[in-house]
Amino acid sequence: MTTTKTIALLGQPNSGKSTLFNNLTGLHQHVGNWPGKTVERAEGFFDYNDVQYKVVDLPGSYGLSANSEEEVVTRNFIWDGKADLICILVDASQLERSLYMLADFVGIKAPVMLVLNMMDVAEAAGKKIDVKAIEKKLGVPVLGFSAADTKRYPDFLKKLDEAISHPSYIDSAGLREEMIGGNDSPVYVIEKILDDTQLGNVENIWLAVKLLENDKLVQKVVNDSLPFARRNAVKCILSSAEGREGGIATGEAKYRWISKILKETCSEKTPDKVFGKWDRIATHRIKGKIFSFVIMVVALLACMILAFPGMGIGFGLQPVLQSLVEKVGEALGLWTVVVSFINNVLVGGTCITICMTSFIFSIIFVFRILEEIGYMARFSYAFDNWLSRLGLHGKAIMPLFSGIGCTAGAVCGTRVLDTRGQRLFALVLLWAIPCGSKVAVVLFLASTFFGSAAPFFAIGYVALIFLSFWLSSLLFGKKLIPENERVGMIMELPPYHKPHWKMIAAMVGRSTWGIFKKALKMILIVAAIFWALSYASDGNVENTILYKIGNAIEPVTMFFGMRWELFVSYLGGMFSKEASLGIMSTLFNHTGEAFSLVTRVAASENLGEVLAKTISKPEALAFLFASMFNVPCVLAMGTTYREVGTIKWLATIMGYYIALSLGLAFIGYHIGLLIF
Amino acid sequence: MQQENFPNIISLDEMRENTGGNIEKIEGDSRFISRIVSIGLTPGSTFSLLKNDGRSPLLVFCRDTVIAVNRKESSQILAKVNA
Repeated sequence: MTTTKTIALLGQPNSGKSTLFNNLTGLHQHVGNWPGKTVERAEGFFDYNDVQYKVVDLPGSYGLSANSEEEVVTRNFIWDGKADLICILVDASQLERSLYMLADFVGIKAPVMLVLNMMDVAEAAGKKIDVKAIEKKLGVPVLGFSAADTKRYPDFLKKLDEAISHPSYIDSAGLREEMIGGNDSPVYVIEKILDDTQLGNVENIWLAVKLLENDKLVQKVVNDSLPFARRNAVKCILSSAEGREGGIATGEAKYRWISKILKETCSEKTPDKVFGKWDRIATHRIKGKIFSFVIMVVALLACMILAFPGMGIGFGLQPVLQSLVEKVGEALGLWTVVVSFINNVLVGGTCITICMTSFIFSIIFVFRILEEIGYMARFSYAFDNWLSRLGLHGKAIMPLFSGIGCTAGAVCGTRVLDTRGQRLFALVLLWAIPCGSKVAVVLFLASTFFGSAAPFFAIGYVALIFLSFWLSSLLFGKKLIPENERVGMIMELPPYHKPHWKMIAAMVGRSTWGIFKKALKMILIVAAIFWALSYASDGNVENTILYKIGNAIEPVTMFFGMRWELFVSYLGGMFSKEASLGIMSTLFNHTGEAFSLVTRVAASENLGEVLAKTISKPEALAFLFASMFNVPCVLAMGTTYREVGTIKWLATIMGYYIALSLGLAFIGYHIGLLIF
Repeated sequence: MQQENFPNIISLDEMRENTGGNIEKIEGDSRFISRIVSIGLTPGSTFSLLKNDGRSPLLVFCRDTVIAVNRKESSQILAKVNA
């Protein structure tokens, strides 16, 4: 029987953790959330030498303090001693800084292996690192590695095997010496007070350091377990002058310890170019924004090109399959109701899911590449000033901008933000940003009803979006990101890297496949419900349940300026923007075919003409406004739910946009009645 | 701290672009301290200031890393400027 060993990957952002994780586990991985948290939990498996390894990719953070949800997850996992080995990754090209994670780990009694990643980059920069010497100093296995180079994996596995079969801990004596200095230093005194207390799998020196760093979680654990007198003694030290400076003093000690190790094991020449011409442009206050804008437009174009094959398959397959189903149905003498169900729910739903997820794939892929290259950090930098006015970190620019391409995909990008409040607020803003399809629908409606005045509507739309940002910031911003929790940008601008296309494609492909499977289920259910409501055996709209409901509630919907046909189209818009047009096409054009969420003849040719004739200008205004701020689409709801983790928040965001769009429809309609 | 006695010590956001120095003191709450220390800035560290345009966040090069620091927070970092 094979044994299972758990290894956890720990490292700072940009240390190459996810590259290692993906190359190790390949297809055998599972992404979910940590129990009760909205932090992504990635786990995978691989076999080596008759041992099954379970790999846990811990959320990236710069150290082991407990300031964010991600850090708390990481800390608790290590604290609980759930791993057989903690594999700490550091960037060899920025060794001194990235070893901070290791220094922060010293004192935790868990078996460790240190991986100096990006050795190739370090060597190219003229750094010489004596891996064996570092290994000797630390007392744990150390490997010089390059996670992007698949040829080097046998070395990794060999070292891993060694580390697992001979578990070893980092020798804390050196760091302790740096921390303590004299017998009156706060670290020393607290360590003495803690004495024989044994909490979790950590040494008291680690607890003392974290107490001095004002770590609330450690403070609580210590408070709960120490007797009264000793607890007060700790409090006294923490409130003394030296104690308050604690976080700085311990930080300095950690870097001193790192420097000492590196002094004897590494040689380097000073880098000649750290901040090149491109960086000067990319971070320039004005040029940087223009430069970013150009890159983003190119990125969005690339997304469209990439999504094209998937869209083609989805669009192309639907009519072919549908006519096939009809023919087979006829030949077998199937009831029309069965054929209708297969075509409008199963076939249509699957094809629309293919179209939608191909967009999600391309958005996540393109923006992941930009991130991997290192450009995303520059982009965030360039827009930090603007976004900080809303209380957001510059990093929010990426999901917000990619929302122009596809809301559902962009929603996944909000993960880069550090706090839950930031993520939720970014999601709220993101829903107001129209994706390509929404823009197309709004422009179609504006030009149909208002002809040459359409450009004014486009400008007005942009103004309304910014107004909605202001409103969202009033309603949500202050609460989700309280003033005292707003922290400004402190971020590394990583060196530019060559992207690993294939690996990223495989990675994004896997996560899109996960989204596809969930989306398919959801879309089929919604399509089936809609189908049941809109099915009539004779194809007459007036014999559908939806017609009856629609007519019954028309007095209410007319309040917002929407007759029942328009209101049903508005509801269809929550499913997909194309569905909104498709439903209108059926209802106003009386094409005879039953209306359906999956109709792909988006707007039959004379739809514009018919609409302009039937619908009054005030009604048109109402519907236009309602469409502008309608809920994005069923898939965006799905990915949003995945990110927020609770129905409550999804319902809140949905409720907000339904209220906003109907409110605007109401205003538009009644102003329209006065004008026209 | 009297300016005359320590003429060279100023906050990061007051420093000119393309100058260098050593960090003297970092002020702020423990949350900020933990963030800034873990990314590599501590008292005593040698750094060069790559960018300070008066509006955007500052860009500091320290321990082989380019770090962006918000203007407000960078006023809490005091440095001794190289002559």
